[in-house]
Amino acid sequence: MGEGNRGGVEGAAAASPPPFALIETVGGTRRLAAVSLEAARLRLYPGQKATDAFARVPDLVTAEAEPQADAAALAELAGWCVRFSPAVALDPPDGLFLDVEGVAHLWGGEAQMLADFRARLARDGLPFRLAIADTPGAAWALAHFGADGTIAPPNGQAALLAPLPPAALRLEAETAAQIERLGLRRLAELAALPRAPLARRFGAQTLTRLDQALGRAAEALTFRRPPTPWFARLAFAEPISAPQDMARVAVDVAARLCAQLEAKDQGARRFQLCYHRLDGKVLSLNVGLSLAGRDPLRLGKLFAPKIEALDPGFGIEVVTLTADQVEATAARQARLEADPQTNDDGLAPLVDRLANRLGEARLWRAEAVESHLPELAAARGHPLTKGPLAGAPGWSPQTPRPVRLFRRPEPVEGVIALTPDDPPSQFCWRGQVHRVRRAEGPERIAEEWWKTDIDAVSVGHVRDYYRVEDQDGGRFWLFRAGLYAPEQPAKWWLHGVFG
Amino acid sequence: MSDPRRLAAVRAKVSALETGGRPDCGRLGLGAPAVDAALGGGLPLGRWHEIGGEGMEAETSAAPAAFTALLAAPLARRGWAVWVLRRDDLWAPGLEGLGFPPERLIQVCARDEAEALGVMEDALSAAGVAAVVGEVEAVGLTAGRRLQLACEKRGATGFVIRRRPFGGPSLPKGAPREAPGSAAATRWRVASAPSEPPAGEFGLGAPRFAVALERCRGGRPGAWLFEAKSAFSQSGETWNGTHPLRLVADLGDRQLAPAPSVRRVA
Repeated sequence: MGEGNRGGVEGAAAASPPPFALIETVGGTRRLAAVSLEAARLRLYPGQKATDAFARVPDLVTAEAEPQADAAALAELAGWCVRFSPAVALDPPDGLFLDVEGVAHLWGGEAQMLADFRARLARDGLPFRLAIADTPGAAWALAHFGADGTIAPPNGQAALLAPLPPAALRLEAETAAQIERLGLRRLAELAALPRAPLARRFGAQTLTRLDQALGRAAEALTFRRPPTPWFARLAFAEPISAPQDMARVAVDVAARLCAQLEAKDQGARRFQLCYHRLDGKVLSLNVGLSLAGRDPLRLGKLFAPKIEALDPGFGIEVVTLTADQVEATAARQARLEADPQTNDDGLAPLVDRLANRLGEARLWRAEAVESHLPELAAARGHPLTKGPLAGAPGWSPQTPRPVRLFRRPEPVEGVIALTPDDPPSQFCWRGQVHRVRRAEGPERIAEEWWKTDIDAVSVGHVRDYYRVEDQDGGRFWLFRAGLYAPEQPAKWWLHGVFG
Repeated sequence: MSDPRRLAAVRAKVSALETGGRPDCGRLGLGAPAVDAALGGGLPLGRWHEIGGEGMEAETSAAPAAFTALLAAPLARRGWAVWVLRRDDLWAPGLEGLGFPPERLIQVCARDEAEALGVMEDALSAAGVAAVVGEVEAVGLTAGRRLQLACEKRGATGFVIRRRPFGGPSLPKGAPREAPGSAAATRWRVASAPSEPPAGEFGLGAPRFAVALERCRGGRPGAWLFEAKSAFSQSGETWNGTHPLRLVADLGDRQLAPAPSVRRVA
């Protein structure tokens, strides 16, 4: 665990600047929210009334505290920390937890990683304290009260925690003060007490925190994103900014991740590429694949059109790639484009390109649905799912169906039908009169009563479909809604055109 | 005087000029010698073809779509087919009835004209795609050229159905009705024609189309009456390898389709 304690308010640490404090309004009283080192030396402390502070230090420089801006800055810093580990948890108001297990070897060890972390943070001018320990609690305690940059050896945090004050346990201020008032000034003394009376006296929270710090109880951190083992990163000696360079490193980092995936016979369907800018901003891109894959060139092609829209600023220094929705692809060859004749998946690159460009809803393959209602008979299916199972009902090629089906049937006027059940002999659609030369029908399509409530079923939903041909050869699919009733005129609709 | 070898060489040179030095990706016979001869040996593959309708059909575009599906059905059995739409009203059961395999068709709904052309281009140059149908209003010179280059990449065949968007303006004022010097290999005009059921039967016969080949590179124009003999009568599996279109009659110099009679609503 690493703990970067960002004292966002103790900012300006130049050569003997004037004492400085941030002020907030708590319950109608102006109080100090945070104080600088110089102010602390003058015995000012957070929570002090602003008037008292001014009485003690007349030349105190103050500014308004901005908790929201601090929180936003902390979140941004958390995004920046993803370069060190994909698992970053916020510890508001001024701390971050990084899960560095299995990551440190990328830097050659925890000490080197901490040194790199320190160098980069120092370059940004942020004051901070760091510690690495087995548990978040121990790391927090060492970062806040131990020596800066402590690295606790595995299972060795108890000795390092022993001399720290009770406040290092992340307790409420009152509880910590009460423990100290009773003469327990070191954690070692607290840990030596019998557990049951300790819990009764200071609350179960104290015991929990003690156990968490010593690794006897587990602690769940809310990481900003779930840690994934499918993670690759690439750092550059010099920052890059040209779009073609960015596209190239996308392929390079994809090649690293894909090698990992290939070693385990896995493929992934979602990839997130993050460019880390020099100024700490993170630009991320997402692509999805229709079939789990691990071809770096294909990924590069999908990322390439999106890279142009990114602003690299002063340059990109690190690029990371994470894979999501990882699944086994043992039987599939990696290069899908290799042989389209023998492999139906040759279409996957095209489907991916189009789905990423237009959106997945704009790309489909018609799937047969077992329904008599024309508007329900064809559904949109995923383009690359295998066809319906053998024996599944498809559309019958024998029943004439139009090539164009209107989403909503269009009303037809001026229908002349000789006897009620006959096809129309003339109708008017879109302002044009069509004389019917030949007709077929009716084909009665009734409501699917087994799907709805039996009381809602009505003969008014019955449709009698006719296939008619007009004098010019135009073929149309008309229907009459409802059963024939002598007292009211029949309503005709045009549902499709055969061509 | 007339050396046959020299003649053959000149012929080859001329045909190379006619095709613009493009690779020959083969031709698709339509099953009728007269039509194939007019096309110069069949429908050229690895090119793109323009298909349009008249009158109301410029908007509903049912006959051009049905004709295109029939034309491209043998291609769709060789590889994948992609149909780029502007408006989602293509209905797969209808394609099935015409003998076009909808399970090998991927439909794409584009937001605008430029996107439709871009998707067509992308699909034409993709591996495994044999035919791409796109419904667009007009193909400009540059867009046509780009389509042609995409076709040549892998020998896929493109079909552009010229279709006016519903409710939209017909064409901007001053815009030419036909794109000048279009890069299309052929241009067809398709209209439905009255069907003839077999003697003694009621109802409609097999769908017929009055088709005019208005323009053809390396061929000559013509007008024919086609019939989709096997439409709505065969099951999808039994396809015997012949083209689904049948020639009914040579329209010759006859007026192809009666001029769209402007009638008022009575």
